[in-house]
Formats: sequence, C-alpha cells, structure tokens
Amino acid sequence: MTAPGPTLQVEALTKVFRRRVTAVRNLSFTVEPGRVTGFLGPNGSGKTTTLRCLLGLVRPTSGRVLIDGRTYADLPAPVHAVGAALEASGFHPGRTARNHLRVVATAAGLPTTRADDVLEAVGLADAGRRRVVEYSLGMRQRLALATALLGDPGALILDEPANGLDPEGIAWLRTFLRQRAADGGTVLVSSHVLSEVQQTVDDVVIINHGELIHTGPLGGLAKPGTARVVLRSPDADRLRPLLEERPDVTVTLRGDGALVVDGLTSAEAGHVAFVGGCELHELSGEADALERVFLDLTGGAS
Amino acid sequence: MIGLLRPLVAAEWRKVTTTKMLWVLTVVAVLYSCLQVVTLVILAGGGLFEGLANAPIEESMLLDPDYIGAILGQVGTAATFVLLLGIIAMTGEFRHMTITSTFLASPRRSRVLLAKMLLYGALGAMIAVVAMAFVLVAASVALVPFEHAPITMGAIVPVLVGAVIGMVLYAILGVSIGSLITNQVAAIVSALVWVLLFEALVGLAFPGVARWLPGGALNSAMDVALRADATGGMTQAETLPAWAGIAVLLVYAGVFAAIASRTTLRRDVT
Repeated sequence: MTAPGPTLQVEALTKVFRRRVTAVRNLSFTVEPGRVTGFLGPNGSGKTTTLRCLLGLVRPTSGRVLIDGRTYADLPAPVHAVGAALEASGFHPGRTARNHLRVVATAAGLPTTRADDVLEAVGLADAGRRRVVEYSLGMRQRLALATALLGDPGALILDEPANGLDPEGIAWLRTFLRQRAADGGTVLVSSHVLSEVQQTVDDVVIINHGELIHTGPLGGLAKPGTARVVLRSPDADRLRPLLEERPDVTVTLRGDGALVVDGLTSAEAGHVAFVGGCELHELSGEADALERVFLDLTGGAS
Repeated sequence: MIGLLRPLVAAEWRKVTTTKMLWVLTVVAVLYSCLQVVTLVILAGGGLFEGLANAPIEESMLLDPDYIGAILGQVGTAATFVLLLGIIAMTGEFRHMTITSTFLASPRRSRVLLAKMLLYGALGAMIAVVAMAFVLVAASVALVPFEHAPITMGAIVPVLVGAVIGMVLYAILGVSIGSLITNQVAAIVSALVWVLLFEALVGLAFPGVARWLPGGALNSAMDVALRADATGGMTQAETLPAWAGIAVLLVYAGVFAAIASRTTLRRDVT
C-alpha cells in the first residue's frame, strides 16, 4: 500500500431481492481512509448486502456504490484498490490454502509468491499446505483475510471478521486493522456486536432493517446523558429525589428495590449519596453503556 | 482480448490442477472407454453377434477392418465424462462459493466464462489423446487371443482426430451448460438425462432430428472417417457432415454461453 486508501461512498442505496424483500433502503454513508469504520447492525439488517453491492457482487436496485468515484467493475485494478473478506466460506474444501491463494493471485495477475507473503501476514505460514477441509473456523477467517490482502489493497472490507476467532486472534486483528488505518488505508469492518469492535473503530455506521440509524465518530455515540448506574440503599426513598434534582437525570425503581440512574456516572451518583448522607449497599456502573446505546438504537432488548 | 484472458486461463489451469476432479474424471473416462473396447472385442471374437443373428459363422467380425475401426471408435464414449468436467468447471464455483473470489478478481464475468471455455476445450483434447492411447493398448491386448485385421494408422488417425474435435467441443458445451444451470446437481442430471435418454428417444422416433441435437452433432463431428454408424448407431444418411456437426456444437455452446452471460451470470452473488 503506497497511496492513501480510497474513499468508499454509498449513495441512496436500495436493494430489493426478488421484487419483494427490501434488504437495504435508501442508505447513504461515506467511509474515509486513515480510519477504521465499524459497520454495525443486528443480523439480517442488510450489512452483507451493502458490502456485496460495494464489491459489484450484488446489483443495486437503485442508488450508487462507489470506490473513489468508480464502481468496483470499473476500477482499473480492483484487487489493488479493495480487498474483501466476505465470509469464512468460499474455499474449495479439497484445495490447500496456499493453492487457493495462488489461484486468486494468478487470476488477478499477481505473482504467486504473494500467496506465501499473505499466509505469513495472517499467521498461517505453517498451515498453508493443508487442505481447507481441515481448517477450523478461525483459520478460515484468517485465510479469508489473507485472500483480501493479496493485492495489498488500499481499502479492506471485512464482513464479521471476528467470528470464530479466539481472543488472541481478535487482539491480533485489532492491532492489524489499527496499523492498516494508521498507514493511511481505508478499513470497513462489519459486526453485529458493538463491543467486538468497540476498541478497534474510529467511526461507526449503524443500520437496522436496511436503514441508516446513526453515522459518525464512535465517541459521539456515548453522550454524557447515556451513562447508567445501578445503586442499592436502605435510604432509597430519601436518595431518589436528591438524584432527580440533578439536570437530565432519570431514576427508576427496579423490581428488586435497586435504583437505576440514567445520566450520571458512578462517581457522580456516589457523590450525591455521600453529600446527602445516604448509606449505600451497592453502587455499580453498567459495564457496557456503549453496547446498551447500540442495542437501544437498533431496537434490541437492553 | 486474449491478453486480458491470459491470467484467467492460467488461474483456471491452477484451479483444475489443485483438486482431484480432473484426475478422477480422466481415469473414469479412460476405464469406461477401455471397458467398451474390451467388451466389443470379446463379443465379436467369441462369436456372440453371429450367435445372436442365428446365422452360420463364416468369418469372425474381427477380420473386418471397419469393425476394428468401430472398436477404436469406442474412445468416443469418454466424451460424456468430458461434458461432466465442463459442467463441474462452472457449477463447482457456485457450489463451493469460490465464485465470489473469482468475480472479485475478475468483475467482468463473461471473461471468466470465456477463459473456462478456452482451458476446458484444451483439457478435452488432452483427455481425448490420453483415452485414445489407453484404448489402443486395451484393443491390442484384448485382440491377442483372436485372429483379427491389423490396427492400422489409417484406422487410428481419423478416430483420434474425431475424438479430439468432439471432446474439445463437448468440454466447451459443458462449461456453457454449467453457466446456464449453475446448480451442480441439476446441471449434471439434466445433461445426463438429455444425452443418455432424451436424445436416444428422439433418435428412435425422429432420426432426422437427432443429428441436430448436441449428442447427434457430436457423433457427426467425430465422424471424420464416416464411422458414425459404429460409434453412434447412426447410418451415414442420418449424420451431418463433420464440419456441420462441429458448427452445430459450437452454435449450441455459443448460444448457451450468450444466454448465460445475460441471465445466470448477471445474477447477484449472495
């Protein structure tokens, strides 16, 4: 990768399958180089369809999908511009990983030595001569990523790349994608779990039922008002109005007697209790505030 | 155009040499055609045909040079497996979803189809030559116990030329069928039912029509030495001239490929 990666543009994309099932509806977003963009949404929300449209595998019903202003098929050297890992399938089970990569390299006009380079890059150098039928899901994910890397592309498009990876693999993938973006590459990575990519992405594009819900920097998701604290106190009746005095705070009494406070961090809530002289038996910040925001946005159960 | 196709043809060669399908189908094709040869030799040499004909045996059929040619012509039975190889070339990509990386490397999908037709045409020729070599060995060995007419170059060359032409065309036809019917099982079953059943029935009912169908055209195309009566059960009057048989098969493959390029190959790959 020498130049900055391409900008990916999805413009008013709509895809209707078999004239009935609307997978994507009027979807627009832009993916910038030099950043890792998380493409988030529940299963079946249209992520894969959108990615396949970007790659010219699925024909949009209306709207456009452009890579630096061109469609995938019009790119002069598609595998140099974009590398894609769409699923951990798409390999002939009887072919070795190395031969799979050599086939794709040959078709793309790349030297077959690239196969060994990318096997090395994804940590499969020792398993390259084994047939794919013997591969675990995690190894297939790595092989899919290796295939995407063959042309040393400016942009990487990865569909649920963390599926089947062990924690070590996920940590490795995170470092790898961060480095790619730091070097100026464009990285678009989909997931149905925000927490999976939370530490990796700079920007998020969130969709549900094929429609855009939110797009922007990850930081913009966790607004101050979105913090949530659970606390338990024998003085709950006295504590509750004290908490509710604070601006933009809502308090609800949970069935088990705990107070659920939206809009305060655990430090702020603890301070209110201390000043008010209320005894606390439990004070806990919700572990995954960001995940809750994501689930709220996509209509999942929180 | 050829320049653009070169990496794709090279990739197809790499694909086919890194799985077992080519070797398996070649071995089966060779064994099948050799079995046909040995069976014909033994039936004739053992006098079974004469026995069936209920006529007095005056002279073994094996002394008839035309019958020796017909025995060698059994190499043509390998063509069915070449057809399957062509079908699997395309349908296998959809079955294993390798079509995704194939179309990502070559978003111009018709080029993939053309590259496959070129390479599998060459593989058809290769299988024809290999099968011919084994058929010659099988015929020579099987004929040893019997008194027979010699196997001459005059008998071998036309059969070989016909086999090569026929199998090149059948491989290309197979690729075009696989592009039109991308479901592997459906494509194979359709092709086998067509070649083995439908065409045979048409041949019985309307002999004049059968020569215009792919199987009949194949017999015509392979009939360089006018031996179609030996290979396809057709009389000379029922076959087309060899050049016309070649043209008919190319038209089938071309029409199938053109339809596939505008329909099945344009479909969404999901």
